[in-house]
Amino acid sequence: MQLEKSTVWQEGFLERLEQRKPWDSWEVYKMSYNIAKKHLIDNFTGLQSLKYLPNVKPLAHQLEVAERVIGEMNGKAILADEVGLGKTIEAGLILKEYLIRGLVKKALILVPASLANQWVVELHTKFHIPALLYKKNYELDYVDVVVMSMDTAKRSPHKEKVLAQDYDLIIVDEAHKLKNHQTISYKFVENLKKKFCLLLTATPIQNDIFELFYLVTLLKQGHLGNYEEFSSVFSTKKRNAEQEEYLKELVGQVMVRNRRQNTGIEWTSRKVQAIPVEFTSSEKETYRLLTELKEVSPVFADSFTTLTLQREMCSSQDAVFVTLSKLLEECTSPQEKERVNAIMRQLVHQSTHSKADKAVELIKQANDKVILFTEYRATQLYLSDVLFSKGISNVIFNGRLSKNSREWIKHLFQQKAQVLIATESGAEGINLQFCHHVINYDLPWNPMKLEQRIGRVHRLGQAHDVHIYNLAVQDTIDDHILSVLEGKIETFEKVVGELDDILTAR
Amino acid sequence: MQPQEINEYLHHFFRNSNCEILTQHPHYMNVQLTIEMDKKIMNRPFYWRYVESVGETPNPAKLMLITDIEQLKDGIKGEVVHIGSPRLHQLFRVTREMGSFVKMHERVSGDAVLTPWIGVNIKVSYKSHQTKELLYSLGINLMTGAVFQDFQETLCTLDLVNEPPEHVFHLPFIIQPQRAFERLDHVINQIIEKEDHQWVDEAKKRWRKDQAVLDYFYEGLDEKPNSYEIEKQAIAERFMPKITIDIINGGLFYLR
Repeated sequence: MQLEKSTVWQEGFLERLEQRKPWDSWEVYKMSYNIAKKHLIDNFTGLQSLKYLPNVKPLAHQLEVAERVIGEMNGKAILADEVGLGKTIEAGLILKEYLIRGLVKKALILVPASLANQWVVELHTKFHIPALLYKKNYELDYVDVVVMSMDTAKRSPHKEKVLAQDYDLIIVDEAHKLKNHQTISYKFVENLKKKFCLLLTATPIQNDIFELFYLVTLLKQGHLGNYEEFSSVFSTKKRNAEQEEYLKELVGQVMVRNRRQNTGIEWTSRKVQAIPVEFTSSEKETYRLLTELKEVSPVFADSFTTLTLQREMCSSQDAVFVTLSKLLEECTSPQEKERVNAIMRQLVHQSTHSKADKAVELIKQANDKVILFTEYRATQLYLSDVLFSKGISNVIFNGRLSKNSREWIKHLFQQKAQVLIATESGAEGINLQFCHHVINYDLPWNPMKLEQRIGRVHRLGQAHDVHIYNLAVQDTIDDHILSVLEGKIETFEKVVGELDDILTAR
Repeated sequence: MQPQEINEYLHHFFRNSNCEILTQHPHYMNVQLTIEMDKKIMNRPFYWRYVESVGETPNPAKLMLITDIEQLKDGIKGEVVHIGSPRLHQLFRVTREMGSFVKMHERVSGDAVLTPWIGVNIKVSYKSHQTKELLYSLGINLMTGAVFQDFQETLCTLDLVNEPPEHVFHLPFIIQPQRAFERLDHVINQIIEKEDHQWVDEAKKRWRKDQAVLDYFYEGLDEKPNSYEIEKQAIAERFMPKITIDIINGGLFYLR
């Protein structure tokens, strides 16, 4: 045990006895004693921070999380509440509590660049924590609580500056981005000293169980054993219900997850519909020709290319066209070129796309604000044109927009446009509770992306039921994606816990 | 602290630090800072360096502090001060700084003999992965060496003045301050020893557990990588039981 005391007061007292400095006021002396007495941390457990946060009314589940993380998990946890339950509030409470208790002096908050500002504002307004947004030339010595974009922090010379500091608490938002242990981000966080550490993600497993292994290991090395043992038990081939139950138990020791249903709050419901789309015979023909290209030329031989073309065909002719014209340049023989050109001519002649038609139908039916997600930029532009031609106002949202433009587009969507056409990147962190229809025009491989998309709309503050439409073209790659998604959802539910409806109503 | 208490505290604080209160209202106040207070709390060293080097008339700030925004209807604009706001905690720090050392005398009428005491208010913090704080107030009689607890509560019942009353004889110290500090140290250590220290066992238990998990992860490696050392250090910092002894304030008291 360590004992710390200083003799500063004694020295000051002796100086005054020798009349080298004046004595203080008795009234102020008494005030100082009363302040100390009043603000004493009188208990090892419980949250002191609430007394200091008159502007925050945390919800019951948020308080529970903060207490459990501090009391039972020793300040090292994955906060994995479903999207929209206020993980930021939970993290803020924990940070504030540690600051008040004097256990944390310096804290580092790593976030996607797009969320950095939001974090700083929330910490200031809700928690009265003077957090600073890191700018490139800042010295970190005098900044106690700093918010940094992960992309900046992991690179030189910022990385070295961070590593030179002694942080007591590390918070990582959107921590699922650390799922791959070979990335620079992962290695960067791995090398940080984590006295206390919070990893925030609604989606601790996106594709397979090893992502969870690496995330937990990042937080607490050894908690799930080492990689060899883990992989021998949990290889994808053999499944064992007993082992999975044990793993769930272990994971539960370092992870808290609240579901909407058990927060005690009345949630509006999710109405998920799978919407099958049938290709026209002409589209089917094009799809078949695209699939056969792999036999025609080595340019198309690898399965990834075929997959891409198939997925793009299920999205829009424009999307395929962009890819095909690039690949055409790589073709050498006249036969190859002719085959590709023939397909491109077909594409040009198809003036509509069955999925786009279906989307228009759904939007008209909804007769309300709709957010539509696509995987392709070409499709995004195509759909915008289609909607305009049908008299449907719309705006486009993607990752290339600056922070100000994002706010502006959001404003336009709220005030003027009926449809927001978004690509994946850029959508994280924006909150659109005023909208209650989500169209998943293209399906991603990863179910958690879908969950994140839905979470933009189905979150605290949503007053209406939320309608979700998942579009898939029958007898195409879309079917395969659906089955992969189902498998991944099953893995997640076995190890982490149940999920709200994503693919279909169950 | 409720808004009303904060209002009273601010009032008290500024009055005692010679800052003029221009407007006093149950829900807000307007204060003219002194030059000294401006330098302490307004965080503008460049302004003061400029004023002093050029010899310009100093213009210390006025503060409009709102203590109960909810009760306020008429368009008063100012800084909202509530428990948890950085401004209030800054003033708490300044209060502590300005009220650290006193020398006081008990008011007596007629001839009397006053005995010297040293009184200290001590905050003891227990820290591991969690914290708890205790406040002790000790007084030591510099004639006899006797030590009493709850000294501050006793002082507050007495009538104390800054200047020594007339016709009073102050006994000289028999015990020198340095010796008194040592004696107080000893007493506080004894008090701490008698406390319940289950928290230390709990912290050590958690420490051992986390360390075992870490060791298991690296089992069989002769040369442990850097990441092992980093994590080991983090675990130690998390659970190392620590006791800090911090003197809030204290003084010399002549009492009957």
